[in-house]
Amino acid sequence: MTRVIARRIVSGVVVLWAAATAAYLALLAAPGDIVDSLIGDGADTPQIRAQIIAEWHLDRPAVVQYLDYLWRAVQGDLGRSYLLQRPVGEVIGDQIPPTLKLAVAAAVFGVVLALILAVTTRHRWVRRASSTVELIIVSTPPFLIGIVLLSVFSFRFGLFPVSGDRGWAALVLPAVTLGLPIAGVLAQVLRDGLDRALDEPFAVTARARGLRERAVLVRHALRHALIPAVTLLGWLTGVLLGGAVIIEQVFGRPGLGQVTLQAVGNGDMPVVLAVVVSAAAAFVVINTAADLAYLIIDPRLRRS
Amino acid sequence: MSRTRSAVAATALALVVLTACSSGRSGKTEAGAEAGRPVSGGSLTWAVETEPITFNPHQYAQAKARLLVWNTFEALLTHDGQGGYLPWLSTGHEVSADGKTYTFKLRTDVTFTDGTRFDAEAVKANIDQFRVDGYNPTVLAVQLRNLDQVEVVDPATVAFHLKQPDVLLLDFLSSPQGAQVSPKSLKEAKNLKAGGPELAGTGPFLLDHYTAGQEVVFTRNPAYDWAPANAGHSGAAYLDRITYRFLKESSVRVGALTSGQVQIVEGVPATDEGLITANPQLSLSRGLNSGSAYSYYFNTTHAPFDDLKVRQAFREAVDVDAVLTGVYRGSATRAWSVIGPTSPFYDKSLEKTYGGDAAKANRLLDEAGWTTRDADGFRTKDGKRLTVRLVQSAPFVRDRRDVLAQAVQAQVKQSAGIDLNVAVVDQGTATQALADGQYEVFDNSRADTDAGAALNLLLHSAGAINRTGFQDPVLDRLLEGGQAGADQAQRLTAYRQVQKLTITDQALILPLYAPADQVAADTRVGGLGFEPTAGVPGSAYDLWLSR
Repeated sequence: MTRVIARRIVSGVVVLWAAATAAYLALLAAPGDIVDSLIGDGADTPQIRAQIIAEWHLDRPAVVQYLDYLWRAVQGDLGRSYLLQRPVGEVIGDQIPPTLKLAVAAAVFGVVLALILAVTTRHRWVRRASSTVELIIVSTPPFLIGIVLLSVFSFRFGLFPVSGDRGWAALVLPAVTLGLPIAGVLAQVLRDGLDRALDEPFAVTARARGLRERAVLVRHALRHALIPAVTLLGWLTGVLLGGAVIIEQVFGRPGLGQVTLQAVGNGDMPVVLAVVVSAAAAFVVINTAADLAYLIIDPRLRRS
Repeated sequence: MSRTRSAVAATALALVVLTACSSGRSGKTEAGAEAGRPVSGGSLTWAVETEPITFNPHQYAQAKARLLVWNTFEALLTHDGQGGYLPWLSTGHEVSADGKTYTFKLRTDVTFTDGTRFDAEAVKANIDQFRVDGYNPTVLAVQLRNLDQVEVVDPATVAFHLKQPDVLLLDFLSSPQGAQVSPKSLKEAKNLKAGGPELAGTGPFLLDHYTAGQEVVFTRNPAYDWAPANAGHSGAAYLDRITYRFLKESSVRVGALTSGQVQIVEGVPATDEGLITANPQLSLSRGLNSGSAYSYYFNTTHAPFDDLKVRQAFREAVDVDAVLTGVYRGSATRAWSVIGPTSPFYDKSLEKTYGGDAAKANRLLDEAGWTTRDADGFRTKDGKRLTVRLVQSAPFVRDRRDVLAQAVQAQVKQSAGIDLNVAVVDQGTATQALADGQYEVFDNSRADTDAGAALNLLLHSAGAINRTGFQDPVLDRLLEGGQAGADQAQRLTAYRQVQKLTITDQALILPLYAPADQVAADTRVGGLGFEPTAGVPGSAYDLWLSR
C-alpha cells in the first residue's frame, strides 16, 4: 500500500514538472515577446524596453530563466505577476477558494442530480424524455444556460442575486449552470451502466433471493454502474475548471477563471504558468482519488 | 478588455457642473433630472465592465478606470471643458517667460486620508517616486521626458523646472498619473504597484475594500472639503458608500439594472439602448470620448498604400455612414478627423469632404494602375491582387470592431474590388505582425484628454505607435509646435494644419467613429456626469440617490 502511494506521489511530481515545462515551452514559442506584451499599446521606446528587460531579468538565456523558475517554484515562490504587480501566490491564492466553492457545489449538484435521474427514469418513455433533455443540456453552451437562468430567476423573479461570492444564494445559479452539463453526461453513463448491471447474473440471483427491484437497483447494480462514472472524474475536473472561466465571467464571480482569462490575454507569464501547474495538481489529486475510489467501490481490486 | 493606455492622459472630476446641479445648463446628459434636489446619505451600486489592473493612480493605464481613480485621488489641476485648466489641489500657477518653469501655489487646507498633510514636499515625493527604478518607466519616458527637477520653494509653493518647454506638463498634472498619493503610503504600502486600501489619497472617498473579480467598495471621506470650482457642490460627497461591481457581460449588466440589483451601469451596448429608453424608470446618457477617433491608419511604407491614389481610393470605397448604421444601429457618431469631435482642436471643416464615392474610388484605382480584375472580382496589377491586411489584437477588440471590419471588408470588395483581409489574433501575434510590417491597415483609438498626446504617438516620425510609417519633417514640426506652445490659439493652428496634412493632403487615415461611453441609471440617481474633456464617466462625488 505504501509503495502504491509513493509511486503515485512520484508520478504526480513528474506530471507537474511536465505540465510546467510544456507551458513554459508553449509560452516561449508564442509569437511576440514578453516585452511587447508588457508594453501593450503604451509608449514604446528603447529606454522603456531596457527598463522592463532589467526589471524582469528578461535578458538572461531562456534556459537559465526556466531553471530559475523551476528552482523558485520548488521553494514555493511562483514569482510576481507582470500585469498585476503582485506575488503570483497571492493572486492565485485569493482566487482558489471562490472557484473551489463553485466547483464543489456544481459537482455535488451534478452528481446528485445524475444519480436521481439514472435511478428514477427507468420507464421507457420517461427515460427517453429525460435522455433527450440531458442531451440538449449537454450540447448547449454553458454561457447560454447561465444567461437564461439569470434572466428568469434573477432578472425576472429576483430570487437570486446576479453577482459575486456573497452568501449561498449567489452560489445557486452558477452552481446549477456548471452542474447541469455534468448531470447530463453522468446520468447517461450511469443509466447505461445500470442497464448492463441489471442483466448480469448477480442481479438475477438477487432477484431470485426475493429482493425487490428497487433494492437490486440501488444496492447492487448502482455500485457496478459507478465504476465507469468514477473514471469520468478526471473529465469532471476539466469541465469544472474550464467551465469556471465562463461561469465566473457571466455571473461576475471572483475566481481562477477570471484571472486565467486576463493572464492569457495579456501574456502575463508567471500567472499563466502558475495556473497551469495548479490545474495539473488538481488533476493529479482527483485522479488519485478516483483510483482509491475504485478500491472502495470494487472489493475485488482490494485483494489484488 | 479594452485597455487604452492614455500616455498623457488627464482630466478632471466630473462634468457634473453641467449636469447635476445646473438644471438645463447643458443638454449633455439628462440623468438625474427626475432625481430632484441632492440628498445626503445612502449607498449605490454601479456595474462596470472593466476591472482595473491597479488602484495606484501613478500606474493607471485603462481609460475605463478613471471613474474609480478620481474617487480616491486628486491632481493639482483639472480640465474645464474648454481645453483649459482649473486649479484643484493647487490655487493657481505661473509659467516663466522661457516656458521652462511652472510654479504652483498649493492649497493649504488639504489632508490625505491617512492624516498626512498635503504640501509641496508631498508633490515632490510623488514625482520622485517615478524616478524609482522600474516604478513606471513609461511615464518617466513620455510624460516626464522634459522634466528636469521639482523644487520645494516653501510648503505651499512648488516649482517644476523643465529641460525644454512642454505644455503637456499641465496635462500630466491633471491626469491620474499626476494624481497625489500620500508620501507615507508611497513608502509603506506593501503592494505599492497594485494599490488598494493602503494607498491614501485626498479624494472624497476612501477605498474600503476590494475583492478581485467581484467588486470594489468606497466609503465617504467625511473630512473632504476641497472640491474644484467646476464640481457640482462642495464639502463631503453625498453618498455614504458606493460599490462598483465587475460584470463583464453586457446583457448581465443591463439585466442587473432592469431588475434593480444595481442602480447604474456603464458600457450599454447599442442593441440594449432601446430597452433602457423604453423604461420610464431608467435613463440613458452618453459622453463622447476625446483623444483620437477610432480610425484605420494606412501603412505607407510599402505597396499598395505607398500610393496616395490607392489610399484615397480605399477611403472613397467605404460608405462609413452605411457601415456604422449597419453595425451600430445608428448609435455611433461618425468621425471625420483623427481628432475626436469633442476636442477643442477638432477641425469641423473636414466634414463631408471625402468618402463614400465608389465611382471616384474606381477612377483612382484605374489611374493607379490597378486596372485588371481576377476571377473573384478583385482588382489586380501585374498579376497581383489588391490585398490589404488588417490585424486586430483580440484583447483590444471592443465595440464590436471585428464586426465593423467585416462590414468594411464587404463594402470595399463590392464597391472597388479591394481585398481587405481581416485577422483577429492574440496580442503576441498582432505585435509581431506590426513590428514586422506585415500589415497595411492599423486600427486604433486613444482616450487621451489632450488630443495632442495621441497625435504625437500616432503621427510623429518618432511616435511610439506611428503605424503609417509616414515620416515628414513638416508634420513633425507642427506636432512639436503643438506640444511646446502654451498658447491655445497657436496650438489650434498647429493641429488644424496637422489634420489638413494627414486627412486631406495625404489621406493617411480613414476616421470611422468617435468612441463613446454609455451610462444607464435608475431615475432616482442624480448627479451623474462625464469628465469634461475625456468624455468618460466622472467620479461618484456628485452622485446622490433620492428616496
